[in-house]
Amino acid sequence: MNEEFTPKIVGFLCNWCSYAGADLAGVSRLQMPPSLRTIRVMCSSRVDPLFIIKALLYGADGVLIAGCHPGDCHYMKGNYYARRRFAMVKSLLEATGFEPERVQLSWVSASEGIRFKETIEEFTNKLRKLGRNKAAKKVFV
Amino acid sequence: MSNYDIIRKKTIEFLKKARDAGCFKHILIPMEIPSKESFSYVLIKDESFLIDASPLPPVNPVQGAKVLSSLTRRGELTGKTAAVMRPCEIRAVIELGKLGQVKLENIVLISIDCPGLLPFSSYTADPEKGKARFEKVIGEWGNDSIRPVCMTCTHFADKAGDIHIGIIENNNDISVIPVNDRGKALLEQCVIPAGKDTGARETKIKKETDKRQENLNKSDDELKNSLQGLNNLDKMFADCIGCYNCMRACPICYCRLCYFNSENIRHEADEYIRRAEAKGSLRFPADTLLFHSGRMTHMSLSCVGCGACEDACPVSIPVARIFQFIARQNQALFAYTPGSDREENIPLVVYKESELEDFEDSH
Repeated sequence: MNEEFTPKIVGFLCNWCSYAGADLAGVSRLQMPPSLRTIRVMCSSRVDPLFIIKALLYGADGVLIAGCHPGDCHYMKGNYYARRRFAMVKSLLEATGFEPERVQLSWVSASEGIRFKETIEEFTNKLRKLGRNKAAKKVFV
Repeated sequence: MSNYDIIRKKTIEFLKKARDAGCFKHILIPMEIPSKESFSYVLIKDESFLIDASPLPPVNPVQGAKVLSSLTRRGELTGKTAAVMRPCEIRAVIELGKLGQVKLENIVLISIDCPGLLPFSSYTADPEKGKARFEKVIGEWGNDSIRPVCMTCTHFADKAGDIHIGIIENNNDISVIPVNDRGKALLEQCVIPAGKDTGARETKIKKETDKRQENLNKSDDELKNSLQGLNNLDKMFADCIGCYNCMRACPICYCRLCYFNSENIRHEADEYIRRAEAKGSLRFPADTLLFHSGRMTHMSLSCVGCGACEDACPVSIPVARIFQFIARQNQALFAYTPGSDREENIPLVVYKESELEDFEDSH
């Protein structure tokens, strides 16, 4: 059954690198699982930690934040801030036992269509192994 | 004379002397309210009011950092004002200073050794008994009648402000310890002999810190088990009525328009129906866990563990202990102790180029 289960991933992609990387993967006709729901943000640092928590509590199986490689940020340092925030959220998820494996921070540049495809494939497989997010059906969450 | 009265009298004497010498003009300090049922901060201009001040009240209905924040919201103070507060309150003031919510210019921060606070609701139920209990708390330097979050506090003698008032092991006296150059200059200006940490004081602080650290470890172990996983989280916050008192009482939650008070979490009926359909059914008030975990991400790095949230909770959820548990792990990630260093930036506004690589996708 798990083979058929396609996890729902909420992906926050930075406008300048990862979104363009995803676009490149698309125009290159690279095949990948239809698991990603893309939200384009101007920078990975635009992602409020609350977005990640909200997505998980509302039932997303995984949350991906993808931005420019360190040193390559369009705004010079946004991804460094994003990394600190991400670390904080992950530590919060760990402390509360809320399956920290469901969140991922990846660096994908505009030229890395293949890397984007592989990131989605790997994350999807990881989430398949983890199974569905139980919060999706929990009434009191 | 009780310990409480001795500390009160000596501290007031010091404040009077410093004020007469021109160290500051106004004094912000807790005072018992006329009905004798609780305490409140007052800004004293007229010295005759100082006699009723209570530098170490048994309960603290409003966190001092919140008071200073509303006092300086529209700009810095003209003329020096002394603020006498517990170490946790001063640490919150320093955090708010970093966040641009308190203008620290012209404020002389005076911290005082803190034996702990009594739970607010138990005190107001019988203030007379509460006072007797607090007298014992000072005598024994903390016992099990103080708030649980105070029992696990290791910052009770932190020299957090410009000047610190030491009462631990001081033989019925207080010692006025300058903390930084500013405090030193002020004491010199008002010709008050600067006290310092005595060996006995340090030994006692060390002993107490160890005891509280032990309490903390025990409390953490309990929380670890009762907090892990969705079912446990759910159980922990099951009684939450969504009053948001914890947020309002929190000194660090300063946002004037909070996300959780905004229209962003008030949806069309269709949206709730859609969510109920997806989940099978939906609890109201909705988004309880989102509120608490969202607040954790927003304020935990600056959380000083003052316990104001827990005092304010009408359904007795151990919010302060939960938030401190999370906060300490988040703060450890960046080796950050809130309120300890005015020059140190809050972790989320700075970065290092090489760090936290473990958190990145290893692709």
